[in-house]
Amino acid sequence: MSDNSLSVFLSRLDFAWITSFHILYPPLTIGLAVILFFFEWRWVATNDERWYRLARFFEKLFIVNFGAGVATGITMEMAFGILYGPFSQAAGPFFGQVLGYETITAFMYEAGFIGLMIFGWGKISKKMHLFATFNVALSSSFSAMWILVANSWMQTPAGIVFKHGVFQVTDWVAALFNPDVMYGFPHMLVATFELALFFVAGVCAWFVLKRRNVTLFARPLRFALLALVVVAPLQVYLGDGLGATIAHDQPAALAAMEGHYNTYNKDGSVNTGWHILAWPNAKGDGNAFAITIPHVLSLLETHSWNGKVEGLNSIKPQDRPPVVVPFYSFRIMVAAGMAMMLVAFWGGWLALRRRLSADTIAANPWFLRAVTASAFLPYLAVWTGWWTREVARQPWIVYGMMRTSAGVSHMSVPLEIFWLVGYMAFELTVFGGTWYFLAKIIRKGPDLVSPVAQDGHQALGHIEEPAHHEPGKPEYLRPA
Amino acid sequence: MNALTQTQHLLTIVWWMSLGLSILLYIILDGADLGAGVFSLFVSDEDERGAIMSAMAGTWDANETWLIVAGGVLFGTFPFVYGSLFSYLMVPLALALWGIITRAVSLEFRHLAEKRYQRFSDYAFGISSLATTFFGGMAVGATLHGFPLTHVPDQVPTYVGGALRFISPFSVWTGIAAVIAVSLAGGLFVRARFEPEEDIRKHAARWTNYAFYAAIGAVAITIGWSVIIFPWVSGKWFGPYSWVYGIGFLAVLFAIVKMRAASNAERDIAAILWLNAAIALMATGMMWTMYPWMVPDTWTIYAGATPQVSIITFTLAMAGFFPVMLMYNWYQIWVFRARVSKLAAYGH
Ligand code: HDD
Ligand code: HEM
Ligand code: HEM
Repeated sequence: MSDNSLSVFLSRLDFAWITSFHILYPPLTIGLAVILFFFEWRWVATNDERWYRLARFFEKLFIVNFGAGVATGITMEMAFGILYGPFSQAAGPFFGQVLGYETITAFMYEAGFIGLMIFGWGKISKKMHLFATFNVALSSSFSAMWILVANSWMQTPAGIVFKHGVFQVTDWVAALFNPDVMYGFPHMLVATFELALFFVAGVCAWFVLKRRNVTLFARPLRFALLALVVVAPLQVYLGDGLGATIAHDQPAALAAMEGHYNTYNKDGSVNTGWHILAWPNAKGDGNAFAITIPHVLSLLETHSWNGKVEGLNSIKPQDRPPVVVPFYSFRIMVAAGMAMMLVAFWGGWLALRRRLSADTIAANPWFLRAVTASAFLPYLAVWTGWWTREVARQPWIVYGMMRTSAGVSHMSVPLEIFWLVGYMAFELTVFGGTWYFLAKIIRKGPDLVSPVAQDGHQALGHIEEPAHHEPGKPEYLRPA
Repeated sequence: MNALTQTQHLLTIVWWMSLGLSILLYIILDGADLGAGVFSLFVSDEDERGAIMSAMAGTWDANETWLIVAGGVLFGTFPFVYGSLFSYLMVPLALALWGIITRAVSLEFRHLAEKRYQRFSDYAFGISSLATTFFGGMAVGATLHGFPLTHVPDQVPTYVGGALRFISPFSVWTGIAAVIAVSLAGGLFVRARFEPEEDIRKHAARWTNYAFYAAIGAVAITIGWSVIIFPWVSGKWFGPYSWVYGIGFLAVLFAIVKMRAASNAERDIAAILWLNAAIALMATGMMWTMYPWMVPDTWTIYAGATPQVSIITFTLAMAGFFPVMLMYNWYQIWVFRARVSKLAAYGH
């Protein structure tokens, strides 16, 4: 099958659609689980009821998001075999094993604790509950790790030989710790923290802005911003490291991300120009227009004034990735990352000047608006980051070894459209539902009156008396 | 591809068994939830429908995890089967997956929705339970038919044969049979989960009664039909070990009779356990009949396995996570074992 046939394009689109929607939920699951653990730990340690209220409130948001993550994730696991059958077979010995580990060490593990975390309040002891929350946080980070191992291996395949149409593992350590994962996984993990921190900060800022429960929300807002002062620059640093890895291992991908066509200028000197904006020409061997700053590209990728960066024209035409998507999505991600860093610094500065305490915080409406709006930036960065990564790897499914066109299942065009249209409807419904219910829970605000859950009163091995009720009198409390 | 060492042969078999176990557990655990969903289509009282959902609220996610585990084991250990079988089953799997998504959403969001959306969401819940079951059953039937593979030297055989090949009278029938089977499981589940004086239990008793006879008929038809169209079935069943199958058959009958008795005596938990025993016996018999095929006439267990099965991963999974998961399932069912009443409707 040729690289550019409609059928290959549609399978790529089918897969891109479902992953793009799945990736909206897991980062919040992972990052928010850590934050929930923090809230709950503070409650158990200090007995300050406000931490408990916060934990319960954000847990409601967590649950909605988690449900959406599971609903869209089950599709993902099946989709490799359905849409990319030959790839799944060929890469199975490594890739399938890794996803298998993920199932076992992350999903099974997570399923073991999530029910306790959600429904266990008041049924198990406080410490046991805290332990359950901890395990949910840990297991979901594992799943990010395995997924990134699998995906990074597609970027920089190592430790395998391609024999009889199958990738056979010769060196597990090299394959698992492939070059790309070293920055790829930390970059993803920190992205989840950054996303969740901005989410929590955004929600808190909204409440403060509306003057609702200011004393409750001012403190986590300050904490989140202080954490972001560290996390946001860290993410930029890791992104820079990831860029250097790409420059080293995937020159074609990097050239596409930078719209960099010629390694050398016409006069034979090294082309060091970095484009702020550019659009490829029709022939695909240069830019139709570009705004360029000299030396920046070399500085960014090689950390030197005149370092050589390989251009697209030194790569065979049939092996060149598309340029527009990686180029612009990369820039959007970087811009979002920088913007988040600035917001975090702004918050840090206000905190230093003691303007973020419960009684002064409401006096910074513009800052609060900026924080609320920033809650969307990490989502944008996560999307564009993945698009950069996946599109810049093209036309390879396993970089340099297996072409995407060789990995797709033999499907007819109508069938691919059937899949796409169906998933458009379903993913958008899930998205709409998630959004609607998150907003609804937030509007409703935290529950400050229900009694605080105490240590489990329901010892194991004791059968609960069925609640006998008089007609019409709902005495039975749902065990949630 | 017969590059497996002797240890690997053994490991492959055990992985195959644990795949079977995961699927079996999924069918047993989620089958009851699915069946209760189908049943809810025939429940007119809104609170009762809500209560059915709240009866599974604490456990459905863990139950569904077995499906993901099965998928993980299949991809991890039998990637060649995974890659070709799932391309073959694209349409029924997509439809079943849409059912699963819809079900998850209506379960998770019902208690947050406004009243007027609840009716819609209940309806979606019932229909999606039905669709998941039917297309899941169809996928099983289609798998039993086997499918054509490419034969290109030095390449893994992959599926060619179009998207609609999975449709056959037999696969349509297995879809219907699956619906009948989960209806029975769902009826028993509702009876076990509701307080004795609730009306819905009587409703479920009538339902279970019909479903019981329908299920007996469905099993008989499926068995007869398989013997006629699948040579590998008749070959095994009437071969030298026919007495083993005979004993198995009697054991299934025994379990069914016991289930009926328990159900009539309102010993709800016992009835569910006997039903599960019968399902487990039939599933084991099925796998035994298929051996050494994983997909009849298409992939044997050994050809479908990765050449890299290793003792390390195996030990990790078997000694570490499977038992923990099983214990946890048990603990969770225990924590949420209390019967509910319709006043516990999800959404109050
Ligand atoms: C950054 C991390 C990340 C990424 C890139 C992906 N996932 Fe994911 N996935 C998770 C992190 C995660 C998670 C945090 O663990 C989720 C979210 C909600 C949940 O239940 O677990 C999840 C859910 C989830 C589920 C449901 C699990 C359950 O019921 O607990 C499956 C089967 C997958 N994912 C499979 C995939 C596949 C095949 C992916 C490859 C494209 C993928 N995910 C990308
Ligand atoms: C979750 C975030 C992800 C997003 C948003 C994403 C996005 C995309 C996009 C846009 C494409 C199409 C690229 C193109 O064809 O031009 C694609 C393809 C693909 N991705 Fe991802 N991806 C994600 C994660 C992953 C992960 C974690 C894996 C593997 C573990 C993966 C495996 C693949 C495969 C196999 C393809 C198809 C072949 C290809 O087109 O390269 N993706 N993805
Ligand atoms: C501002 C500095 C940043 C730089 C220099 C940077 C750099 C990169 C690079 C080079 C890639 C890999 C693309 C490829 O593999 O082809 C990437 C991917 C990605 N980025 Fe960033 N990034 C930055 C900020 C962010 C932020 C703020 C987020 C989210 C909060 C983010 C989320 C992601 C994600 C989810 C991916 C795809 C998965 C991965 O490769 O880890 N990035 N980034």
